[in-house]
Amino acid sequence: MSTTATAAYVHVPFCRHRCGYCDFTLIAGRDDLVPAYLRGLERELRFHPHDPPTGRTDLKTLFFGGGTPTHPGPADLAKLLQLVRDRFELAENAEVSVEANPLDLTEEKLQVLIDHGVNRISLGVQSFHDDELRQLERDHTAVDLQRIIPVTQRFLPNLSVDLIFGIPGQTLAAWEQSLKQAIHSGATHISTYGLTFESGTAFETRRRRGQLQPTPEDLEREMYALVMEMLPAAGFEQYEISNFARPGFRCQHNEVYWRGDEYHAYGPGAARYLNRRRETNIRSVLGWLAKLDRGLTPVADVDELSPDTQARELIFLGLRRNSGIDRTDFQRRTGWNLEDFAGDIITRQVEFGSLVSDPKGLRLTQAGRFIADRVIAEFL
Amino acid sequence: MAILGFRRATGGAIGVFRARPGPETVNRRRLPARTLPPMFDTRNIRNFSIVAHIDHGKSTLADQLLLQSGAISEREFKEQLLDDLKVERERGITVKARAVAINYELDGQKYEINFIDTPGHVDFHYEVSRSLAACEGALLLVDAFQGVQAQTVANAYAAINADLEVIPVVNKVDLPVTRIPEVLEEIETVVGLDTTNVLKTSGKSGIGVKDCLRAIIERIPAPKGSVDSPLQALVFDSKYDTYRGVITYIRVMEGRVQKGQKIYFMKGGTAHEVLELGQFRPNMVSCDDLSAGQVGYIICGIKELGSVHVGDTVTDYLHRAPQALPGYEVPQQMVFCGMYPVDATDFEHLREELQKMSLNDASFSFAPDTSDALGFGFRCGFLGMLHMEIIQQRLEQEADVDLIQTAPNVTYQIVKTDGEILQVDNPQEVPDVGSIDEFREPIAKVHFILPSDKIGPIMQLSADRRGTYLTTEYLGPNRVQLVYELPLAEIVFDMYDKLKSITQGYGTMNYEVIGFRPADLVKMDILVKGEKVDALAVIVHRTQAERRGRAVCKKLKEEISRHQFEIPLQAALGARVIARETISAVRKDVTAKCYGGDISRKRKLLEKQKEGKKRMKQFGAVEIPQKAFLAVLSTSEDGD
Repeated sequence: MSTTATAAYVHVPFCRHRCGYCDFTLIAGRDDLVPAYLRGLERELRFHPHDPPTGRTDLKTLFFGGGTPTHPGPADLAKLLQLVRDRFELAENAEVSVEANPLDLTEEKLQVLIDHGVNRISLGVQSFHDDELRQLERDHTAVDLQRIIPVTQRFLPNLSVDLIFGIPGQTLAAWEQSLKQAIHSGATHISTYGLTFESGTAFETRRRRGQLQPTPEDLEREMYALVMEMLPAAGFEQYEISNFARPGFRCQHNEVYWRGDEYHAYGPGAARYLNRRRETNIRSVLGWLAKLDRGLTPVADVDELSPDTQARELIFLGLRRNSGIDRTDFQRRTGWNLEDFAGDIITRQVEFGSLVSDPKGLRLTQAGRFIADRVIAEFL
Repeated sequence: MAILGFRRATGGAIGVFRARPGPETVNRRRLPARTLPPMFDTRNIRNFSIVAHIDHGKSTLADQLLLQSGAISEREFKEQLLDDLKVERERGITVKARAVAINYELDGQKYEINFIDTPGHVDFHYEVSRSLAACEGALLLVDAFQGVQAQTVANAYAAINADLEVIPVVNKVDLPVTRIPEVLEEIETVVGLDTTNVLKTSGKSGIGVKDCLRAIIERIPAPKGSVDSPLQALVFDSKYDTYRGVITYIRVMEGRVQKGQKIYFMKGGTAHEVLELGQFRPNMVSCDDLSAGQVGYIICGIKELGSVHVGDTVTDYLHRAPQALPGYEVPQQMVFCGMYPVDATDFEHLREELQKMSLNDASFSFAPDTSDALGFGFRCGFLGMLHMEIIQQRLEQEADVDLIQTAPNVTYQIVKTDGEILQVDNPQEVPDVGSIDEFREPIAKVHFILPSDKIGPIMQLSADRRGTYLTTEYLGPNRVQLVYELPLAEIVFDMYDKLKSITQGYGTMNYEVIGFRPADLVKMDILVKGEKVDALAVIVHRTQAERRGRAVCKKLKEEISRHQFEIPLQAALGARVIARETISAVRKDVTAKCYGGDISRKRKLLEKQKEGKKRMKQFGAVEIPQKAFLAVLSTSEDGD
């Protein structure tokens, strides 16, 4: 069954090394696998039976994530981008994003990006302090950033900066400085992520052994509060729990996820959502490739959403957005009236001061945003 | 005659280790039942129990007796064979009495030896005595290193009082370190048994087991009953089997019982036909009759739960015995708690499971109960804490019901101002202070046996627990017996654990309830977010209320997780708040990243979080986990 999905995600798993906090699908120090990856990608782009025939669908958003999509050399990078461009048409004004590690970016690579239609870059800055960058095991320094950000902007002015707060040892003052530098960098978009200790990461192991102290909850709350105070004051509108944009610069691709819309996906560990089915590929590059080489599906996990689950997921994702859940839209997409579906929970959470409910829809309050997971869990 | 009897038995299924009766039992039905000659000479029957302090090696020795007497083969020899309930295996405690028939030949004479197992823990004293009533003798097992302990004494006296021949046995003689001469002296002085012919055994290696078998035959008297008298059989246990209904354990005292016979339960007043009868060898093996002196089971197709009473007498429906056998004292339930299904729809299912439990365990009772906080459930009565834990664990393993158990309490008596006396086994039933004339609590006489250098700490513990000192008696240079009177409420919950920890495991205790006494008792309420939670109310001594209140609030703070809002916790006597704690609100709980690849995983994580909450009890807006209902047991502020 073909779909009308107009978004696609491509996962590029290569990295220089794995940072201690990262639990993404990636492979470090195996650049020799890039050709194999490209072969696999070429196969997968033509594998999925529900994908549209070539040239039929115009993509409105295309996102290259990782890993580090900019890690392969310029020639491989060009081939990667071209493979996808050969498969899909791009709509007029389509958003084409890539994630990038600062030290991987050269003028040559930046040129390759724009030559292949990339018009938005998301830079893994994480911090403007060397001690914090070392703690995070990033390979760049604050000085590197001062050099790389302006160069990048010359090629790709639509630049997003990723920052992390709650780094062990980070102070509120240091966090404030990083936020200021991000604001003044000229970025059009800022994402701020509270550090989490994901299972299987080196950070989590060190935390368990008592070698890393997570940031106290109250300080973490203050850091998050500071984000929501400073960025809007500087002209960045918050549109999701962790995302802030200057007017007109929201990440349209990510909004596809949060609206509960459909998207294609390719690459090891990538997840697609089509026909109310979320499929996740095998995470191992070689495993993913081996399946495709044998003409078999690279899908490892299928989550078939029942109408009920889909409705709950729409609430889960919708509440993470500042615009919240639109009652009319919810009813149109699920067939349920929001009040009939979850009226008692809504009433309770409104009483607790976590939700605003009005004729148009349902949104988290500022207070609710700090404990969004808890509020959302009530609906699941 | 004896040889004839044995032939019949071997012609049956003796030594065949299996669960179901074989076809040979059918062939035996050719002769009319009522004209069968007496089959087993009572002179060649011996019925015995083993009594011991817990962990003195009873089950291991029992297994050896079965192995070395040929009742089971090496291949069939399993660890802890007699402890066939899973819970008991886990705990290493024999809870339910079981009977095993063994055929054994000594000096050319063939004997039938019935071994009736007994539980070892203080909570099950009642079951010990009903097992002893089916025997003529008992082996008193004493650990070669640990020596005489509190339950050694209690169980030995129970056996002596039941007029049993008691044979002292020193077990675990092959331990690297033993104190055999001292242990023998303890047996002589504390228990008062002659140790001239003491047996020395090891259940582990099998040393001395043959000597035991010889002593059982030579020293324990044969049963006295006559095969020709009217049937009198003692019901000493019963068990519910899903397929066969009630399995009734009997010891035939007089006469005989046969397949097809119409029998009559003298106390129950009900008549039934014996559909099957047999012996445990050690699994059920059917036969055609059981005669005076023998031990076995009967199955009468009884399906109605609770219609077989342990302690009842079975007689022939037409030729009834002139009188019933002396039964047992009704067991005294001293510990009560509430058990509520987490999911209200499990109520009926829980009732059925409790009914099954109570059939297998006459000393357990239950009655429907309701709580504002927990809804519909049951108030359950137990002999003691271990008994309670075992029932709870069995319910969890066998019944597949999520349970909330409230903190246990003892039974109190309240004399109201109008003279009415209430038995209160639920704090919710305590009337208004104004209408209470006297509040009484049960008092127990407690015997401690402990190393003499621990007298100080145990006396201190007993004083803290409002104990009254009675006597000290030295059992040897290093061991002493202390006797106290203590409120039962102060000992049932954790006294045993405290004693074990203070004495590094060497102290033991035994207690019996001696009556009720007035005390300055009050009902302490617990308020969660300003609301009384009835299931958390507890009866405490006024002088301890504040300490307990602080401990309970502190423990609840640990057990109840943080919510979106602040939760005040208070302990109160009437309107007066005596302790408080506050559970602070969650400050930050939000997933930062949620992109295409994260959605399913994060959603499932949050779903799981929500699923965990379903197992909690919603009280107002506060979710209280199952464990929190036991928090009121906390007695000290360090969270013990």
